[in-house]
Amino acid sequence: MKRQIPLIIVIGLGFVFVAHTFIPAKISVDFYEWWQTWSKAISPFAVVLGVMSLFMVHSTKITRKVSNWQYSAVTLGSLAITSLIGFVWGTQEGTPFMWLFKNIQMPMGATMFSLLAFHIASAAYKAFRARSLEATVLLLAACIVMLGQVPLGSQISKWIPETSQWILNVPNLAAKRAIALGVGLGMTATSLKILLGIERTYLGGGD
Amino acid sequence: MSEKMNFFERLQALDRRWIYLVVLLAIMVPLVIPFNSKTYVTEPSENVYKKIDSFTGRTDRAILMCFSHDASTMAELFPMEVAILRHCFERKIQVLTICFMPQAKPLMDYAINTAKEDYNVQSGIDYLNLGYKPYGLFLPIMLGMGDDIAKAVETDDQGRKVDNLPIMKELSNYNELNLVIDFAASAAVYSWIIYARARFGANVAAGITAVMAADNYPYLQTGQLTGMLSGLKGAAEYEKMVDVFAMHKDEYGNPDPREFSKEVIKNTWIKMSDIKERRYKTARIGMNAQTVAHIMIIFFIIIGNIGYFVTRAKKKVTAE
Amino acid sequence: MTFEFISNTVAAFLTLCIFSFLYKDNPFYKFAESLFVGVSMGYAIPLVYENAFIPFVYRPIFVEHNFLIIIPSIMGALYIFRFTRNLSWLSRYPIVFGMAIVGMGVPMSMHGSVLVQMRSAMLPLDNLNTILIFIGTVTILMYFFFSKEHRGLYGKITNIGVWFMMIGFGASFGYTVMARISLLIGRIQFLLDDWLGIMR
Repeated sequence: MKRQIPLIIVIGLGFVFVAHTFIPAKISVDFYEWWQTWSKAISPFAVVLGVMSLFMVHSTKITRKVSNWQYSAVTLGSLAITSLIGFVWGTQEGTPFMWLFKNIQMPMGATMFSLLAFHIASAAYKAFRARSLEATVLLLAACIVMLGQVPLGSQISKWIPETSQWILNVPNLAAKRAIALGVGLGMTATSLKILLGIERTYLGGGD
Repeated sequence: MSEKMNFFERLQALDRRWIYLVVLLAIMVPLVIPFNSKTYVTEPSENVYKKIDSFTGRTDRAILMCFSHDASTMAELFPMEVAILRHCFERKIQVLTICFMPQAKPLMDYAINTAKEDYNVQSGIDYLNLGYKPYGLFLPIMLGMGDDIAKAVETDDQGRKVDNLPIMKELSNYNELNLVIDFAASAAVYSWIIYARARFGANVAAGITAVMAADNYPYLQTGQLTGMLSGLKGAAEYEKMVDVFAMHKDEYGNPDPREFSKEVIKNTWIKMSDIKERRYKTARIGMNAQTVAHIMIIFFIIIGNIGYFVTRAKKKVTAE
Repeated sequence: MTFEFISNTVAAFLTLCIFSFLYKDNPFYKFAESLFVGVSMGYAIPLVYENAFIPFVYRPIFVEHNFLIIIPSIMGALYIFRFTRNLSWLSRYPIVFGMAIVGMGVPMSMHGSVLVQMRSAMLPLDNLNTILIFIGTVTILMYFFFSKEHRGLYGKITNIGVWFMMIGFGASFGYTVMARISLLIGRIQFLLDDWLGIMR
């Protein structure tokens, strides 16, 4: 019963949603509004999951004094301080909470991803090899698109940005459309499997 | 083993940290010593501009900007957000903003504050910041706005009831909220295409990181995407279009906005030094560094391949 | 020394801590990484409280006296049992309530991702580009059909699909390079302009 009832809810409500998509009757609109209001009330509690998961991982590391446990203390400490500041002084522009975000979270988040620029340059030098004709075509297309995107490309010749656009609009479009069709069918199939109760992994383990 | 490495072998074995240093210099130098360059404007970007510009001065039309990214991709997306907001404020185009990620909220506020510095615009009248809504409400709100925007979002970022605000007088659903632009580093824009576009016929455009740009061309051809700004280049293109058309001045220096024209944009050069505010040219200055970095990457690929083929040929000879 | 400069110095120090990873892993990087995770999560809590709990739970129940909202609120609170051994099944209820929208996903994704794309793949073949798009799409779809061995004529046809895919991946790669470089440009602009003020 612990699995069956949730499954019945998904299948039952799921089919009502299928009907709602095609039937614009008032009862259908009322159903959707009811579902929307309830979803809104459920939504804030989801954040608890993330916090609990993080807390459990790091508190275990601290209590067991595993190597580098001090960094787990930094994580939990900064989590607690940031939240506390948010609750005490509010979350509006100009508060200490926003200062923390702008000068700690934002620069670090941006920098983490910018490291990829170094790695991609290193890969370009050490790994991108024209080992076969197909790989050569890939590299050539990449170089034309790279040149076509920057101002220098159009200054060398107007053909460079135009060829780059042609690559994107024709062969690239064909490739991405075929892939999109596959992904679309996959999405539909997965949704259908959930709706029919075949796919149940979202229920998690246990009975 | 003790055989001395030749030039190409040494090139192959070069420590990656030297490569990192070259990357750093390739980006720093063009930023410190700026130069003028011409931005080639592509059709997907033109379409975004033209669609937004067609709402000029209309109180029964608005655009919705959905901020679906965090600070990690801010370098690419923030300049385009500022450029679009500037366009809207300059041309009196009503704009609504919303986000479903907590990390996107300050970026959204920052973009609005950056763009409105030069304009006398008021929240609730000229623009409306709907604020942050939890991700669990992404689909309910997106679908709800197809029927009634005010009912779907309820309150704005200041906690005010949305349906009482002057900007909402003539806005009820996607018929009036006639363009949704999602700024994303994720697949969020596909949700707008699959749900808002398919169910309500909403016009959807994308302001996306360049990583995802190539994947979106099929959606541009089908018209599921009205237009697209791709990465820093898309932002640079939009900045240029705003300067050339929306900010155009007559011979006496008075504002004289003009309609979009392919010919005009093609033949217009803008000197970076003529634009005083840095926030209005961030992407274009960045594109100078981008030029040098792309040349560097192409150079790396060529040098790396020369080293590879020479070493491989040498190994073949030795084996024989 | 202005407040803005001090703020930018803090941001710049943390930026450099992250960059130090490029040389090798070190305590500065580890510290910054841990701080980043903590601040990011700590940031979400008050924001969700203000923007979701207050308007969608507290206000409807305690101000508007819509007591029916107590039911979904209790359902939402069941999330906390996710990590318990005996009661984790209770957390399935808030999950399945949201999951039900998948019923709308079936017709919508079929329409948005499949039918519209197919319709555009069936345009009249009146110029070279549409012919090429048609050939590319069909040959790639054939390539991904693994129930038939890719040999002989069929193998040659699917090989055309591979060429189209290589060009497509090349275009994606070109764009990816651009994206990654842009992110670094953003950080360097911050260090040189906002912090040091040496950009002209």
